[in-house]
Amino acid sequence: MDDDDRTLLEVSLKHACQSSSGAALDRALEDLGWHEALSVDPSVAVSSLFELQGRANASSSALDAVVRSALGLKSRPSSGTVLPALGRWQAPGHLADGDLLLRGVGTASLVDGTTAMVVTSSGGAGHLALEVTTADLTLRSAPGLDPRLGLVEVSGGHVAVTGRYDLAPGQWPRAVALAHLAIGHELVGASRAMLELARGHALERIQFGQPIATFQAVRHRLADTLIAIEASDAALGSAWDEGSPQAAAMAKALAGRSARTAVRHCQQVLAGIGFTTEHDFHHYLRRVMVLDELFGTARALTTRLGNHLLATRQLPPLPPL
Amino acid sequence: MELDAFRSSLDAWLDQHEDVLTPDRSAVETLDGQMSHLSKVKLHTYDAGWMRWGWPERVGGLGGSTLLRAYLGEALTFRNLVEPGIYSMTEVLAPTMIDYARPELAAVMVPRLLRGDETWCQGFSEPGTGSNLAALSCRATRSGDAWRVSGQKVWTSLAQYAQRCVLLARSGSPESAHKGITALFVDMDSPGIDVRPIETVHGAPEFSEVFFDDVAVPVDRTLGEEGQGWSVAMDLLPFERSTALWHRAAYLYRRLQRLLEIVHPDSLDPSAVGEVTQLLAALRARSRATQHRLAAGQHLGPETSIDKVLVATAEQAVFDLVADGLGPEVTIGDDPDSDRWRREFLYSRAASIYGGTAEIQRNIIARRLLDLGSGQ
Repeated sequence: MDDDDRTLLEVSLKHACQSSSGAALDRALEDLGWHEALSVDPSVAVSSLFELQGRANASSSALDAVVRSALGLKSRPSSGTVLPALGRWQAPGHLADGDLLLRGVGTASLVDGTTAMVVTSSGGAGHLALEVTTADLTLRSAPGLDPRLGLVEVSGGHVAVTGRYDLAPGQWPRAVALAHLAIGHELVGASRAMLELARGHALERIQFGQPIATFQAVRHRLADTLIAIEASDAALGSAWDEGSPQAAAMAKALAGRSARTAVRHCQQVLAGIGFTTEHDFHHYLRRVMVLDELFGTARALTTRLGNHLLATRQLPPLPPL
Repeated sequence: MELDAFRSSLDAWLDQHEDVLTPDRSAVETLDGQMSHLSKVKLHTYDAGWMRWGWPERVGGLGGSTLLRAYLGEALTFRNLVEPGIYSMTEVLAPTMIDYARPELAAVMVPRLLRGDETWCQGFSEPGTGSNLAALSCRATRSGDAWRVSGQKVWTSLAQYAQRCVLLARSGSPESAHKGITALFVDMDSPGIDVRPIETVHGAPEFSEVFFDDVAVPVDRTLGEEGQGWSVAMDLLPFERSTALWHRAAYLYRRLQRLLEIVHPDSLDPSAVGEVTQLLAALRARSRATQHRLAAGQHLGPETSIDKVLVATAEQAVFDLVADGLGPEVTIGDDPDSDRWRREFLYSRAASIYGGTAEIQRNIIARRLLDLGSGQ
């Protein structure tokens, strides 16, 4: 994608994310050709959309499309995707003696679709993508901490399989990696939005006769937030270049931890007003907590990495200059 | 030369010359040994041409992208052939000379620094002027064709080894703040200069007090114009926060890798190991982007303060992990390896102090990047 195409895509994505959310944003993404962009240039399509979606606190079913594209499956409005249960990155389905058990979460497209795709572990390291009928699944609306996100919890036992696609080795880890990058960008976008809210408040709020932005304690909290965001953003960019699942998981963990840092500092700077629902901050607080859970928390991914490093005694390869 | 070609031919050359470039024990254990080994490595790499790539031809370089010298420093550091801190002084001081010295002076002097014939130091901090650089008081007074310099500098790294000093002095009135500062290129053997090394907690007299008693400095040794010293300093600092940090990140990676190889796995918290590795990956990614901006000819500015905070945070995190994983070695070990871990742990405590404290970096970020106004 050349620079002009990229700018054009970003302008229309920005408009779409700011003016719509949920099903309306899904329609807007269809109309503006985001799915084509995803197949042509995944790094531009994913990084642009998810950062803007995070900034705007919008939601969509784009994560389904990202996972399906990595699996080589088409996105269809009639077909939803079962994502791993919160806190997990393992395949949501498990096949034992021909019996399909599944547990996971889904976006709005899972509720609206007539069929659903569920990636399933089949003993050993192999994975299958199985198609099931949505009516056979148990769906629970899960408004929880972040009702705007529209997440559903999904489970099923002895589910009839209506279609079956073998996945090549490494295809599910690649799908997880792409999801990690997408969610990482969304966390960065949400963090930038929180920083902007806190910065604006710090410049306007007068105490002791001056804006609280003049106080070093406030300035350093906001500086630390920017440092954390830029570190994660750089790690995400590097993970795209490297293309390894390990680099993507590191970037997602960094973005999750940075977002929690942004929540802590920005809410403290916003103080009383940030604790009310009349201010927009709380929407980001809610979103970030759920996004950190999706495809594995910063804490879990970091511990997994550390265990791996201690077992192999070998750091990840250095990406070249 | 392109980076890929440079990388593979340099790697091959380093493989071939590993024997002569590898420091022996004394060249690791003492600062004197490190300094003389550094000169040796610079001489070899200069004569073979590697050290000249990435520098302009008018100062003895061979031209080419700045990425080439970023990779040279990375390779030398990563292979444990030089200490990164003393090696990277070149990256800080040579660009300043190229941008601000008279062209004839730069053409004579910069090759001496690159070839390792000379060591240079940076006379910025004073006893009363640490973070508040604009308040410096070391005086420079014009007298005919010379400046007369009197005053004191402190925390001047490598001053006891240096033949030259990039010095900031007050040429304006005491109240002139950043407008009344002039940068000078001073010969350290000038009459009236007294250097006294300072004992540091990590055991190496890495820096010194430097006293100037009516020292004559020719006017043609002025860097930039009279009163332009603040600009010289502001343009120098981003170099201190760019290529030098790239080299440092390679060093931190090597030491963390070494820790993983020797540590008993039960003595480390896996989540701490994972987090430090992520911090290093983020530092490397950030610093890589900065190297590419520099190579593309972009002006480096206050955004390099983020790189500086990241390297300080990563360095202290790496050596906190060392202290956790190798507690007995760091605290009471008496073999050379333990001694090295101990020195490195102690030196890492300075990472958030030298080159502008962590607080100053955050002030810069707040004012210049977040546009929060001037603060109190």
